[in-house]
Amino acid sequence: MLLTPRARAPRLPFLPPDHDGLHASASPGSLLACRLAAASLALAIFLFDSLSTFEGAVAVLYVVVVMLAARSARARDIIIAAAAGITLTLVAYVDSHGFNHVGSQTVRACVSLAAIGITAVLALQNQTATKRLAAQARLLNLSHDMIFVRDRTGAITFWNRTAEEVYGWPAHVAVGQQADALLRTCYPEPRAAIEARLLDAGSWEGTLAQTTQAGKTLTLASRWVVQRDHNGRLVGVMETHTDITERRQAQDALLQARAELAHAARVATLGELTASIAHEVNQPLMAVVTSGEAGMRWLRRDPPDLHEVGISIERIVSEGRRASEIVKRIRAFLSKVPAQCNTLDAGALIDEAARLVEHELNRERVFLHVCVAPGLPALAGDRIQLQQVLVNLMVNAAQAMAGQPEPRILSISANHADADASAVEIIVADTGPGIDMNAIDRLFDAFYTTKPQGMGMGLAICRTTVQAHGGQLTASNQPGAGARFVLTLPPASTLNARP
Amino acid sequence: MTATSKTAPPPPAQVLIVDDDAGVRGALDSLLRSVGLRTLVFASPAELLQATLPDAPGCIILDVRLPGASGLDVQDHLAKLGIPLPIIFITGHGDIPMTVRAMKAGAIDFLSKPFREQDMLDAVAAAIDRDRARRDQAAALGDVRARYDTLTPREREVLAHVVSGLMNKQVAGLIGLSEITVKIHRGNVMRKMGVRSLADLVRSAEALGVSRP
Repeated sequence: MLLTPRARAPRLPFLPPDHDGLHASASPGSLLACRLAAASLALAIFLFDSLSTFEGAVAVLYVVVVMLAARSARARDIIIAAAAGITLTLVAYVDSHGFNHVGSQTVRACVSLAAIGITAVLALQNQTATKRLAAQARLLNLSHDMIFVRDRTGAITFWNRTAEEVYGWPAHVAVGQQADALLRTCYPEPRAAIEARLLDAGSWEGTLAQTTQAGKTLTLASRWVVQRDHNGRLVGVMETHTDITERRQAQDALLQARAELAHAARVATLGELTASIAHEVNQPLMAVVTSGEAGMRWLRRDPPDLHEVGISIERIVSEGRRASEIVKRIRAFLSKVPAQCNTLDAGALIDEAARLVEHELNRERVFLHVCVAPGLPALAGDRIQLQQVLVNLMVNAAQAMAGQPEPRILSISANHADADASAVEIIVADTGPGIDMNAIDRLFDAFYTTKPQGMGMGLAICRTTVQAHGGQLTASNQPGAGARFVLTLPPASTLNARP
Repeated sequence: MTATSKTAPPPPAQVLIVDDDAGVRGALDSLLRSVGLRTLVFASPAELLQATLPDAPGCIILDVRLPGASGLDVQDHLAKLGIPLPIIFITGHGDIPMTVRAMKAGAIDFLSKPFREQDMLDAVAAAIDRDRARRDQAAALGDVRARYDTLTPREREVLAHVVSGLMNKQVAGLIGLSEITVKIHRGNVMRKMGVRSLADLVRSAEALGVSRP
């Protein structure tokens, strides 16, 4: 098969099955067979040329020898074949006709020589072009990514070295197989949808999972490109895959560590809230016990006051339920459930956080002032995490104001953000000594703390949490006195939220 | 000192309950009523301070931690307003400094929730007893003061000297009256003050704060 004489500009080839880009398309065995065939044919032609009296340009048949030699894709073979052809032609001519005559045989001999020469040159050019293309194709083997090409039916037509190494299938096994079946590919969306998108845009990118020959599952970032012929018809798809399994594992580990840290911080916060918790739980407990005792007394009266007994028992039941609600709430605050995305109301969030710290605030004689603007958009996020942020800020404020002369005022307000009217701004401000201006840059750093027993994680986690919700947390000092933390959160409409 | 007993029976005791938690209020109210006490229930100290309190012996059961105002502040406030009802503190979570402060400020008792009913009832009984005693004392003092107001200036003079330990003769010499006159004044004083012995007179005088002239 003759390829076009001029080598085209480099273009990723759609390589037919037996041109898989390696140096020798033929194994040593077939190379030898080629050469033998070429040699025997040359001999046969020579014999025929010199021995027969046929008046045709038999020597032109040496062209076939040159082309056979060209199959080896080695320049040397072509040159040898051409040289042999030329030599044999001349020998046969001289042998038959000597140097005397210049007649039609001479012309025929010259035609044969020209044919052999031209064919040799063309074959050499072709061979050079093929070599260049092969070299380009070999570049695909240098890539760290797995690259393979499949045709319209999904059968593999090219398989690079990295694919061999990583997937574990050698090229000669992989070529011809169905890619999806061989690699047991798991797609993030229905396969048909991906194919449609590919045909539409000419390319596709995504993450998928494949299994190696050894059975290991990999996570891969994939890019597909469509290959078309001159008429624009789809002839194949080149798939490039990058192994991101390790990166994905590292990301997962990081998320896990962060969640653990946030949990530890919640536990620590809970430690600071023991007064609140004890108080909260003891209220309904007392109501239960005392109602029981009262009920007994009403019962022991003569005659027993059953109406009062009934009321006492009802109170026992409802207060008992209340106690279990409180426990549930605390357990929820402590839970390690992964972040959920729900629709939240700023006012409700502030109220719940305030309830959690109400008794701490009372102990420190801090007066809490809450002001929520009407008509605020709904927020999207994890209720517990955002509660944690507010609780942290409030406990910090109360501790900052401890020991100061009264009034100690902690004010929380929620309104539309100045910069972006659709966002919600929650401001936590206190009348404490304010933030040390030298430290204000490090305030949100991990492990920065001014408390003797502090872990220094509170504000770092707060900021990370808020940023994960698409918001911002900043701190400044107020002109009057005290610190001011501004928490900005985007509305739920900009994020996907489950109600 | 003896006071003339009132003809009306003593008014029944009233317990005032102040707690922001509805369950706690209801339970306490039920318990106290089940032993026959009368109760008044308030959801906050502000409500208590705005209400007109009955003129009856009683006590206040107050939660130490209330939103917006600590129970100890309420105790101070009540003292300043001259409301002398004894206070029993209850709390869901108290610490020692708070307890000490409360007791030093004169609380009857300091109970942690959940408390045993007997502890509460004992505290209430003790508080009511203390309040009754105080009221009796106050009433008695009022009675004595009323009597003292009926004394003439001369009689008051005689009273002052007599309770300082002087004999009639000495008093007469001091204020320039005859011994007989002094004796008569003394008799009137004893009668008006409603006492039968010098010792009782001295006690009454001390209660009134009458000092040696």
